[in-house]
Amino acid sequence: MKLINKRNFVSIVCIFFTLITCGKLLLEKAYGFTDKYYTDNIFTILAFSVLITLILSLHFYLQKFPFLLVLIAQYALTVGIVFLAIFIHGQFSENAPTAYWDMFISITIPFIVGALAYYICFFVQIKKANRILEELE
Amino acid sequence: MKLIKTKEENLEENYLELHYDTIDEETNAVLDRLRDTLRYIEGTYEDKKVTIALTDIFYIETVDRITFAYTEDMCVEVKEALRDILEEYSKIGFVRISKSAIVNIYKIKKLQGDINMRVIIFLKNDEKLMMNRSYKNDFYARLNDLQGRKAK
Repeated sequence: MKLINKRNFVSIVCIFFTLITCGKLLLEKAYGFTDKYYTDNIFTILAFSVLITLILSLHFYLQKFPFLLVLIAQYALTVGIVFLAIFIHGQFSENAPTAYWDMFISITIPFIVGALAYYICFFVQIKKANRILEELE
Repeated sequence: MKLIKTKEENLEENYLELHYDTIDEETNAVLDRLRDTLRYIEGTYEDKKVTIALTDIFYIETVDRITFAYTEDMCVEVKEALRDILEEYSKIGFVRISKSAIVNIYKIKKLQGDINMRVIIFLKNDEKLMMNRSYKNDFYARLNDLQGRKAK
């Protein structure tokens, strides 16, 4: 089943954008941090949301390949594109000193959380299916 | 409609007998389900024509465009294509697990996941089959359907 399609693509980008922006604002509030690059970062989040939705939408076409390989390839592709974008941005204006590190963390944490959630759901589904199979006996 | 089960020693084959005055809606529904379950399929085994009950089939797979149905002790070549079999018999528990195989849910012993998110299917005859990730959701939906039907 294709979870991300042409119809819901924009809605999913909006959901990602809202969640990441809310997370960013909550963290900033909690640590009393003032973002000097606020406008830039908002557009970075939008670009990141579009990119991650695009990459996740590829998942449907990669189902015949081993999951770990797909996950690592998607992660590497995301990191690569984001680092390239930071590098290009750096050629025209000044990047924050920790730009690469910040983006690395921003990508890695959601990937790890997402992969863990996916794994847990997978094994919970199997456990439930085994229970149903026992009931059918 | 009442169901009376009677245990008889040394019976050659189990049988069902229906006593009725008129066949009402409820009885008809039971008969419909029985008709589906007690269906047979023809095939070739060691150059001989054989007829096997669908309920005896563990799984069906296509190898080099030839369809084989696997029972406890036979591998029968059948004429029907996998897609046609699935269309006709999905109601009685056959579900697709890969591009080239369908399995009888009632012949599954248990499922197990591997690190690559593929599901290993252990059959009651101790054979193992691999389910592709793309067929996982349909498989679980079918399983839930069957559970729902059993609960009714």
